[in-house]
Amino acid sequence: MSEPDSPRWLDEITDELRREVSVRPAWRARLLDDVARAPKPSSRDDVDERFGDEEELAQHPARRRRSITLGPFTGLAAAALFVTLGAGVTYMTMSSRARVHERERRGTTARAQAVSRTPTPAEREVVRFELSAPRASRVALVGSFNDWNPGTTLLSRDPASGKWVVSVRLPPGRHVYAFVVDGDVTADPDAPRAADDDFGSTNSVVFVSSPRT
Amino acid sequence: MTHPHVPGFNLATMTDALLVRRVLDGDTAAFTTIVDRHAAACTRFATRMLGNREDAEDVTQETFLRAYRSLARYEERQAFRTWLFQILINRCRTAAARRERRHRMFLVDDNAIASASVRPAAESSDLRAELQRVIDALDPDHREAFLLKHVEQLSYDEMAAATGVGVSALKMRVKRACDRMQWLLREASDVGT
Repeated sequence: MSEPDSPRWLDEITDELRREVSVRPAWRARLLDDVARAPKPSSRDDVDERFGDEEELAQHPARRRRSITLGPFTGLAAAALFVTLGAGVTYMTMSSRARVHERERRGTTARAQAVSRTPTPAEREVVRFELSAPRASRVALVGSFNDWNPGTTLLSRDPASGKWVVSVRLPPGRHVYAFVVDGDVTADPDAPRAADDDFGSTNSVVFVSSPRT
Repeated sequence: MTHPHVPGFNLATMTDALLVRRVLDGDTAAFTTIVDRHAAACTRFATRMLGNREDAEDVTQETFLRAYRSLARYEERQAFRTWLFQILINRCRTAAARRERRHRMFLVDDNAIASASVRPAAESSDLRAELQRVIDALDPDHREAFLLKHVEQLSYDEMAAATGVGVSALKMRVKRACDRMQWLLREASDVGT
């Protein structure tokens, strides 16, 4: 059914485009087979992490404890990495391609930094994200920590600085993120970028170190 | 579908939110119902977005697997279909971006690509193929908005939740898609006569 006032050509097009695309039985069987082999999403409080790519490790608001077992060499390497990167400092890394033109066009600048080293009950750190986008009317933060949901973490304009800001509690680890500025996904313009965003545009990365280090 | 362990228990009549709860409680069969309920629409959207069935099936399969793994993060205040489309849209964007990067290695003449994509096939008068060529010629953002609105019939609020784009921007994209499609169809018609 088309809009009541839509033109006839549009009705014809949409009627055609809405024709159902059949689901091939072989495809369905393969999908269900893959689902059957996949670890069960057991409960809301116990999210299976074995799939574990960046996107899938998004945090549910109900929180979960992350248990990571490291071998001795891996543990040493991880410790060395955090020491090298600066104990207790949240930072961004991994530059791939700059979007200078985008920054110039929007006049945006941004910064994500840890503002608290106090361990939270959920062992998370507060990370403050800032974006200078004076012409924007709506800015959201999306990332691996909120399932890339643009409706979850909205930035508000700081009356003092004029910047868009939001503080988010994040667990230790690597988090890929981006801003959604009036609907357009934009990497943090002042931050280095992730090598591959997996969502069709370049993102940024923030590392959060363990509050216990 | 009648539940195998509970006589008279009909999964097919359950809401998506209830099915999700059952899956989280360990009832994998409930996810089969979710797949059967949404697979056709997802495959349709992906096919229209990506322009070919094989890529669409890959993307749709990936979408359902990701949805399954992420079910614990689904919140019932959001319609499940919107949540599922959010994943699907992202997978389509990723697939399109990867394909675009591959194509850039071989094709650099944008004008040639654009004109080729709307030219009617001499040997085919199939309306659907013609429409797919027109859809393919749209800007991906406009194509996405048009399909969500006019084909999948999401509300603008649902579209905003699924895409992360503001309602006013989405309305503009849909309008531009319609304008462009009308122009392309008219041009194709002129070329064909």
